[in-house]
Amino acid sequence: MEIFPALLTVITDPMLLFAIVLAAFVGMIVGATPGLTASAAIAMLLPITFYMSPLFALAFLYVIGKSGRYGGSIAAILFNTPGTAASAATQIDGYPLARAGKAGKAMKVATISSIIGDLMGDILLVIGVGFIASIALKLGPPETFAIYFAAFVVIGSVIGKSIVRGLASALMGILVAMVGLDPISSEERYTFGSFDLSNGIGLVPLMIGVFVLGEVFAQLEDRRKNPGETKENDSSQDGNNLTWDEYKPCLPHALRGGFIGAGIGVLPGLGSAIAAFISYGEGKRRAKNPDQWGKGALEGVAAPEAANNAVSGPSMAPLLTLGIPGSTIGAILLGVFLIHGIQVGPTLFLTDKELVYKLFACGMLGIIAYGVIGYFGATQVARLILKIPTNVLYPMIFMTAFVAAYSARGSMFDVTVMTVAGFVGWLMRKHDFNIAAFVISFVLAKGAEETFRQSLLMSDGGALIFVERPIALAFIIIGAGAIAFRVRGVLKDRKLAAGGLGDA
Amino acid sequence: MRAYAEGLVLAAISCVAIWGAWQVPAASPGDTWAGIVPFAAAVALLALSGFLIIGATRQSAGEAQSDPDNGATLEIVGLFIIALIYQQSFRWFGYLVPTAIVAPLVLYIFGVRSRIGLALSVILCPLVFHVIFFVLLGVFPPYGEVFDLLNWIQG
Repeated sequence: MEIFPALLTVITDPMLLFAIVLAAFVGMIVGATPGLTASAAIAMLLPITFYMSPLFALAFLYVIGKSGRYGGSIAAILFNTPGTAASAATQIDGYPLARAGKAGKAMKVATISSIIGDLMGDILLVIGVGFIASIALKLGPPETFAIYFAAFVVIGSVIGKSIVRGLASALMGILVAMVGLDPISSEERYTFGSFDLSNGIGLVPLMIGVFVLGEVFAQLEDRRKNPGETKENDSSQDGNNLTWDEYKPCLPHALRGGFIGAGIGVLPGLGSAIAAFISYGEGKRRAKNPDQWGKGALEGVAAPEAANNAVSGPSMAPLLTLGIPGSTIGAILLGVFLIHGIQVGPTLFLTDKELVYKLFACGMLGIIAYGVIGYFGATQVARLILKIPTNVLYPMIFMTAFVAAYSARGSMFDVTVMTVAGFVGWLMRKHDFNIAAFVISFVLAKGAEETFRQSLLMSDGGALIFVERPIALAFIIIGAGAIAFRVRGVLKDRKLAAGGLGDA
Repeated sequence: MRAYAEGLVLAAISCVAIWGAWQVPAASPGDTWAGIVPFAAAVALLALSGFLIIGATRQSAGEAQSDPDNGATLEIVGLFIIALIYQQSFRWFGYLVPTAIVAPLVLYIFGVRSRIGLALSVILCPLVFHVIFFVLLGVFPPYGEVFDLLNWIQG
């Protein structure tokens, strides 16, 4: 019920409404620009939000994240280049539709399905988040550590091509987070006598480095490899309009996709891309016209788009209730909460309940904003993107990364951290390491360490406490099960491919 | 070969991390050792690097991936060196002079060949970024220890 007064408050604040519409537009542009991600845009804009009120800052970045997910479909359908990894599933049917002169129709299906999925996700979040928070309040350090453990393992092992590289990325994130003074005993760790290192590695410069500067390096590499130009597919007059009869068969796929996305969104680290592909596969399996899928079926656009966007809301649930970000955008938003002195976790619903529900309200209004802009102006947005000269855009992003990293705390050390993180981020991508696992683990590490050591103190040094408590044991089993499940999948794929052994 | 190199680099990182964790003093009575989590993470990383190396030994020579590079890596390393020098030069020359030099350089690397465009970037980039971040947002600009153009302009 708290959502209704929150919606009323947000609707009556013209400045906040303007910020939401602006964020919806910015997110759409960023998501639709191949190579630019919503995470990069949010990381880059993070220092600017230091000067805003917490709600304004959070709403602005949250809506950019939502709209960025949707924006990826524009590039996938019109340019055959997914703007985000999640929109790669949309591309399968979206691009053939665009080639057949039905780009406008495909865009409208993508927009409506995104709105349905995203709203479903947000409504489920609003209904369920208070319940999860009330349970989370009853958890002790061993249970909380077990949840952290499961999150590390799932994030490290499930996403990405390689389990070993994914888990290694998560461990490197933990090690980088350990640099500085131990929060309990104030002992120095990995400081090597440096005063700057004793303050630890900042979240903001690390994010800007990995997501923004790393992306600039990746784009420079991409330009060498794919020097071709991106072209838009024109829409015929008939291919631009969408009738109810045409959308009607898409509706069950959008609704199913919404539930799939919302379910996957609650699990930390899985993300939109997995939700979109599962929804696409499930949609095709249940479709009346499976032969048409892959060749330009409107349902093939609706299913992944709804799932992709439905992830957005529920992925906030572990962040807000447990302080565990489920995605890279969640990790950055956690930074915004901390910067504004708001402690994320179960107590958030006791201390800042109003703020949380206002943020949800902003998210819902953001969905409507990007829906309206997308429905009536997606093709214009695509034309605008084609006019952006990337050879000017990326150098400008490069320059912004430095000044943004400096602005966070006015620290030159942060700029050095950002520069090194950018190069390391690019190297990790190049070698198939998982930067999302690296960053999320970096964010989670301190909380995990605190609960781990509290648990050891509770049990007088015995690690059996994690096995003796049933909830803790359940989460440890979930973590172990995730690895076993993934290893089984990898081995199965290898058998099918009858190939050699990579690195499992 | 690539998997070997990756495994060895990871092993080297984990060895440094184990050594670093070992330097953390022992816990006082009734407390937990501050190095326990870094140590555990470093040991786990060492084990994973072992898996990578074992995986590499099992890979046959025919499976080696060929990734056409086209000199992109060199270009990126070059850009990284420029980035390192650029951030360091903030400390020596403040924000304006390094940005005026680096902006056209990076634009050139990304393929901008218009002389007018490059010349404009020398003035516009430092100006626009300075106005947005140091004037409008009120961030205190980095001070150049050797020479600071902003200081000189402001007298």
